[in-house]
Amino acid sequence: MNKLIAIIKREYLQKVRTKFFVIMTVLGPLMLVAFTIVPGLLISMKTGGDTRIAILDQTDGVKLYDSIRNSLLKLERDEGSSKGQALGDAANSNSKDRMEKAGRASGSFRVDQVNPNGRSLDEIKRELNARIGRDELDGYLVIPPDIVSNSNSKSSYYGRNVGDVFTRGQLRDRLNSTVRRQRLINEGVKDEDVDALSRSVDLATYPVNEKGEEGAEDSGAGFAMVFIIAFLIYMTVLLYGQVVLGAIIEEKETRIAEILFSSVRPFQIMFGKLIGVSLMALTQLGIWAAAFAALVLLAVPAMAARGFTDINLPHLPPFFAVYFFLFFLLGYFVYSTLYVLIGSMVTTSQEGGQMAMPVIFLLMAGLYLAFAVIRAPNSSFAFWVSMVPFFAPITMMVRIVSQTPPFWQIALSLGIGFLTVVILLWVASRIYRIGMLMYGKKASIPEVIRWARQA
Amino acid sequence: MTNSSPSVVVDHISKSFGEFTAVNDLSLAVHAGRVFGLLGPNGAGKTTTIRMIVNITAPDSGRIKLFGQQITPALQDRIGYLPEERGLYKKMKVGDQLRFFAELKSVSGKEAERRVDRWLDRVKLTEWKSKKATELSKGMQQKIQFITAVIHEPDLIILDEPFSGLDPVNVDLLKEIILELKAAGKTIIFSTHQMEVAERICDDICLINRSRKVLEGSIREVKRGFSRNAVALRLVGGESVLDDRALISNVERHSDGIEVLLAEGANPQTLLKELLAAGATIERFEMIEPSLHDIFVEKVTEKE
Repeated sequence: MNKLIAIIKREYLQKVRTKFFVIMTVLGPLMLVAFTIVPGLLISMKTGGDTRIAILDQTDGVKLYDSIRNSLLKLERDEGSSKGQALGDAANSNSKDRMEKAGRASGSFRVDQVNPNGRSLDEIKRELNARIGRDELDGYLVIPPDIVSNSNSKSSYYGRNVGDVFTRGQLRDRLNSTVRRQRLINEGVKDEDVDALSRSVDLATYPVNEKGEEGAEDSGAGFAMVFIIAFLIYMTVLLYGQVVLGAIIEEKETRIAEILFSSVRPFQIMFGKLIGVSLMALTQLGIWAAAFAALVLLAVPAMAARGFTDINLPHLPPFFAVYFFLFFLLGYFVYSTLYVLIGSMVTTSQEGGQMAMPVIFLLMAGLYLAFAVIRAPNSSFAFWVSMVPFFAPITMMVRIVSQTPPFWQIALSLGIGFLTVVILLWVASRIYRIGMLMYGKKASIPEVIRWARQA
Repeated sequence: MTNSSPSVVVDHISKSFGEFTAVNDLSLAVHAGRVFGLLGPNGAGKTTTIRMIVNITAPDSGRIKLFGQQITPALQDRIGYLPEERGLYKKMKVGDQLRFFAELKSVSGKEAERRVDRWLDRVKLTEWKSKKATELSKGMQQKIQFITAVIHEPDLIILDEPFSGLDPVNVDLLKEIILELKAAGKTIIFSTHQMEVAERICDDICLINRSRKVLEGSIREVKRGFSRNAVALRLVGGESVLDDRALISNVERHSDGIEVLLAEGANPQTLLKELLAAGATIERFEMIEPSLHDIFVEKVTEKE
């Protein structure tokens, strides 16, 4: 027992003193933010100059051009004044919403009218296509004459980069509202009434729990929280799994294993390492949790005092934290024992990196499945996926946060996970004690199976 | 010493890995206060045998007794093992490292600290105590590794190629320490394929080849069993005598002389007389004892 403690102590102290630990402790939360928010911002970011659009309005009397042009250009001005607010919102709203806002904020247009001058549509298109080819124009919109009168009529957009869904979306929105407005006016609606009549409806969302109690309005922060928690488990399990892999390979590469094995039983060494690294992980998560708590307790009241009252932090019951640690530990032990297996089979860290790929894919699969689970947290699909120990740490956590399943399901998932960990530990220890003393070449799968069977 | 009860008794052990037999029906006994050489070419089964003695692996059949007891994990604290494949934690300070290895052998706290200082002083590395292992030269690392095998004052010390990679000064230092440990009544098993080293340190040897024991006994007995009546000569004239097959069975010419092997039943005195009678000027005439190296090579090659 004292020997086990000596191993845990060494592993923990050595790991916690490394630069890696300090850097990860600081960068971890930043990375989490970066990985969850930045891709959304990046994709909607428009680099390069204005989008140059030509519009060929074939309607009688060219009724639509001015209106579309104005709304495209006006949009630009509006967004300019509200950009700051949009960023503030981004922190609290869900990611789909955020992407749309960011997308709207990004486009700026230069709009020209195409004068037919009696030419045929084909001729005009040929000329405009040529201008796109010469990079004088990014795209053009053709509005057919019957667009207002015929509800099946189609407008077309031709452009070099039709993959830019944001520009396309903006054009469609503006065209739609302009045409709709014109149709309403043609039907006799007064111009000044159109806006009021076509305003979209706000949908407020309130969660109801399994006891039938209604919660406070959900601004989408809950969704963001689910996503962040899924990603946090993914990131930390991956990170500390790699730490375990590194620790195993270190003892093999430096040939320390045999000295250790002559003093302590291999299982104790392996188990001591896993515990030591898990304590390191818990220390790091603890620091993050404390920092977050400090932020909530100190920064939020401070900001509220300065008038920022609408900061909407998600309300998570405290038992979520307990589940988080349980499922983190489950994920950690399931995956780190797999990493022990791999570490015992390979001889260098490069080989270890290659062999670890399938394990990383397995973990990633859990993250992707979580997206489906978020949509329907109580479907039978979600149930089964959250019972598979390799996916449960992420998928069950997602279910707990989004729509807490009955307790027996959580307990069952943990129970299956715990059994899996016991089995994996047993298999890993058998392979570890032989693999660690094999130098020179990577072990093959049949060899490893034989090791596991050896008494 | 030989008549006291042995510290290590290996009783007909065998170990196979799949089709490959690493150790085949091996028996040996090692006595306290003696240095026991476990010799053999690479792949003979030395390391596998040692791993079974230190309880890293278990034999498929046969028994091993340490200090008269069946081997258990608890007995591991009484063994110090310096494996051939050995290393240190690269980024850990030397002092921390030694204390950790001491703790693994159930020596902790102040006592561990005291021993770390004493041993670092003994191998002249005191000023390296708070350096990381990567900053040490290979020879220094080797000495630190040696300390890990003895810091808990074990009764049985097993050293697998302890001198490989050491310079002559440090080889002498280590040898001195080994002889001190022997004088203190420790049992030492010393595994190597370097016969010159074994010859100078070991009291008893066991030669294994291809998983089997081929020879054992004290160095003296072994050498006596191998005395082959070899004579080193440096002559001017009298070469014709060397062609006498009744007297000499084999002639080997070196740059500074000749080594001859006397024929069965031939007497060295007769050879000397014959040479003088043939008018040879004799610059050198010396009976040579077979070296452990020769015995090793002969034993290992004769089976092939």
